[in-house]
Amino acid sequence: MRFDEALQSQEEAILNCVHCGFCLPACPTYVRLGDEADSPRGRLHLMRAVVEGRLDPGSDAFQDHIGRCLGCRACEPVCPSGVQYGMLLERARQVATSARPPARLTRLLLALVRRDGVRRLWLGSSRLLRDLGIPEGLLARLPEGPISSRMKTALAMLASSAPSTLSIGAPNGAEEVASRSGSPNGSGFGAGVSVGLLEGCVQKGLFGRVNRATERVLGANGYRVVSVRSQGCCGALHAHAGDLTAAREMARRNIAAFEEAGVDLVAVNAAGCGAAMVDYGHLLSGDAEWGGRARSFAGRVRDVSQLLTGGDEVLRGAPLPLRVAYDPPCHLLHAQKIRHEPLRMLEAIPELEVVAVPNGDECCGGAGIYGLTHPELGGRIGSDKVEAVVATGAPWLATGNPGCIMQIGAGLRIAEAKVEVCHPVELLDESYRRGGVYEGRRGAEGAASVDPDPGRGSPLDERAETGAVPRPGGA
Amino acid sequence: MTAPVIPAALISSLSRIVGDDGVIRDPERLLVYESDGLTQYRHAPAAVVLPRTTEEVAAVVKELAAGGRAFVARGAGTGLSGGALAVAGAVVIATTRMNRVLEVDVENRRARVQPGTVNSHLTRESLPHGFFYAPDPSSQSACTIGGNVAENSGGPHCLKYGVTSRYVTGLTVVLPDGEVVSFGGTGVEEDPYDLVGLFVGSEGCFGIATEVEVTLTPVPEAAAALLAIFDRLEDAARAVTRIIARGLLPAALEIVDGETIRAVESSVFAAGYPTDAEAALVVEFDGVEDSLAEELAAAEACCRDEGAREVRKAASDEEREALWRGRKKAFGAMGRIAPDLLVQDATVPRTRLPAVLERIMEIGRRYDLKVANVFHAGDGNLHPNILFDRRNREELARVEQASKEMMQACVDAGGTITGEHGVGVDKKEYMGLIYSRSVLETMEEVRRVFDPAGLSNPGKVLPGSIRSAIRGAEEDAVARV
Repeated sequence: MRFDEALQSQEEAILNCVHCGFCLPACPTYVRLGDEADSPRGRLHLMRAVVEGRLDPGSDAFQDHIGRCLGCRACEPVCPSGVQYGMLLERARQVATSARPPARLTRLLLALVRRDGVRRLWLGSSRLLRDLGIPEGLLARLPEGPISSRMKTALAMLASSAPSTLSIGAPNGAEEVASRSGSPNGSGFGAGVSVGLLEGCVQKGLFGRVNRATERVLGANGYRVVSVRSQGCCGALHAHAGDLTAAREMARRNIAAFEEAGVDLVAVNAAGCGAAMVDYGHLLSGDAEWGGRARSFAGRVRDVSQLLTGGDEVLRGAPLPLRVAYDPPCHLLHAQKIRHEPLRMLEAIPELEVVAVPNGDECCGGAGIYGLTHPELGGRIGSDKVEAVVATGAPWLATGNPGCIMQIGAGLRIAEAKVEVCHPVELLDESYRRGGVYEGRRGAEGAASVDPDPGRGSPLDERAETGAVPRPGGA
Repeated sequence: MTAPVIPAALISSLSRIVGDDGVIRDPERLLVYESDGLTQYRHAPAAVVLPRTTEEVAAVVKELAAGGRAFVARGAGTGLSGGALAVAGAVVIATTRMNRVLEVDVENRRARVQPGTVNSHLTRESLPHGFFYAPDPSSQSACTIGGNVAENSGGPHCLKYGVTSRYVTGLTVVLPDGEVVSFGGTGVEEDPYDLVGLFVGSEGCFGIATEVEVTLTPVPEAAAALLAIFDRLEDAARAVTRIIARGLLPAALEIVDGETIRAVESSVFAAGYPTDAEAALVVEFDGVEDSLAEELAAAEACCRDEGAREVRKAASDEEREALWRGRKKAFGAMGRIAPDLLVQDATVPRTRLPAVLERIMEIGRRYDLKVANVFHAGDGNLHPNILFDRRNREELARVEQASKEMMQACVDAGGTITGEHGVGVDKKEYMGLIYSRSVLETMEEVRRVFDPAGLSNPGKVLPGSIRSAIRGAEEDAVARV
């Protein structure tokens, strides 16, 4: 295959750009660097130059500027021509990495999540270290310097994946009864619909508690949550890094797994994974065997917030008198155009005060592994986000993507800000727990019946990551 | 096509002024600067410099002037006449890092901004104080105030509010030799000569504005709009004339033609305009709430008198937005029909609109080109959009010829060759259509007063025969694609 074929075949899509420049102010890298080459329009221009044979994809210009893109896709909603920037970026990255192999760190990180066994070991041991409080201890001891600054970011990110204090010291479920509008036996608006949850890779390894909370909350709203075996990583990190071969392989595996489980819908609670999966149709468009299946799969992917707000009113829980800042993940807001659903979902929590983060539509700089591969620029974008979060004065921040939770969490930690970070669904779950919603459901028909994973019990097993919240009652 | 070589010594002096990360010289990185919003012309600059302050701009310009090197100021590169195209070995001085609103002075209803400030960001900063920045080019979400000053930009609401020159009250300018001067400004008696007025619209040929003081406008109490649907484009144009003749002063009067309606409606931006219509007219009023209903009713009567088959009125902001959607998304929707788009810009007397539109459509048919009209009808400011694919050389030649004939048609009708996009490189050969040689020579003399060495944005505005007298303006082959 010719190295630039991935872009060549997308020439028409690149030509949709009429060079109007409306995307420039939406781009976090352009806004900070001021160089046209670090803007969406500039990058598309470089892609076009490669297609036209005027630019070598191995050149520093192509490598640097395509590499420096966050992939936040904030340029897409403001594009009057509807350029599919995210898709083109992935193709451009493929061309770039074929011309010149990516940096060692990028390759290492991608390899770590690609194979199940390796990933389990890596994330499992990371989780152990985290739960033992090692990152925090190390953070305080690291000397200043460029290498240790990258280490610091990584450690702070790991530390930030730990469960928040949300449910610590909370009253026990039975005491407060929620003002329930839904039925306790699973006949809410999700009734009859079976969903399989994408467990994810990082999400599964470090945020198992969010997956469990998602299952409980969906179950409480009437969905039948089915365990989907032999699923894997969604492939988003690989696609963003231009390793489309690996991404396609992962997509096929997930499609087969969810087909086999026979679920109506695919639930996802990580914005990045959701964005990747709704694009599976695109990713496998040239594949005769898988193209149609991929499109059908993509059409069934729903963010948890969509599942909870798609029908009647979402089941209300007990009051959580907290002030929470909400920061929309880019891959929810820009890539999937899901803006209101997470907020509507949080409206089901009485007394929860939700405030917007100023300039919240902008990326936090996490962008998959960007915070680690571009520590300087990612750090600048990250500290602006931290500053904006702190400016809200809210002691809590909710955002629906593991990368954002860790990036913002790490930034807050390093800035020594007293703000705790969680996933929005954890708030709803806690509200239900306090409201006794799960008490009423214990053993009830149609409850969140999730098959336990075969490997459960080993300290390195991903499902052992349950966080501070107790597991749901169920079969 | 490759950028002219620039001496290493010059690069290091420039780097000393703006820092290493403020100078771009790698020809491959410079590719992205080969066009602004008008992609028919491509030519990469010799280098790009990204200064942050007036002092840095002055030092850079001094350095370039000392070596006789030309320069071009560039903001967001959204211009549609090739004004930021760097020819003659010019260095681009980008204002993108000079993007701060320096001051919003509510008591004096003024703001001071750096030139790289995005137009709509100034309004965003002013709104909490109850003010906005009135000139609103359709690209306002991206274009910069510095570029607006250079082009004397207009926009849909300039019918009532006026163009950029009406709002600029003071300027800090780096002259083409590097000297820093101030024109106008708060608290200063009016200059005996209106140098601010002279500078606004000079398309970067008189120097670089590094600070701009503008007047802010109070946000009107309320606004209301109507959308009138016509079966004939001429009827919509006549309705515009009737509305003005009646003494009404809408905030905006915009026409979208049938071709455009069908383009928008077939895109994801479908706004609910009927696809069998030949024109949609948007009329917007703003001001005191009590007067709006009456004005709207009068405008509706004008439209019905000219044969509007349907009139939709919008009272709430959401309804108004919905009416505007088809107009505002028109430009982008075109990108979905053809890969390239030539947005023409010309102005004719309002009463001649029906006749000129008919001629434009006839020219399009004769050259077998898709032409879609979206325009500021209230100002008689036409924007025929010619849709094409630049990879088709033969079609490109037809586009060029048709475009020239359309210009001629506007001039014949007593109009002029630009409404708001400027002359830049695209229109300079048309200057002879409307100005006599002696007028052009006078313009050149004025230009020479500011820029005797001909270094500030060479190759723009003045036509070839005149321009060649200016040193350094010999164009190296500009790729006209």
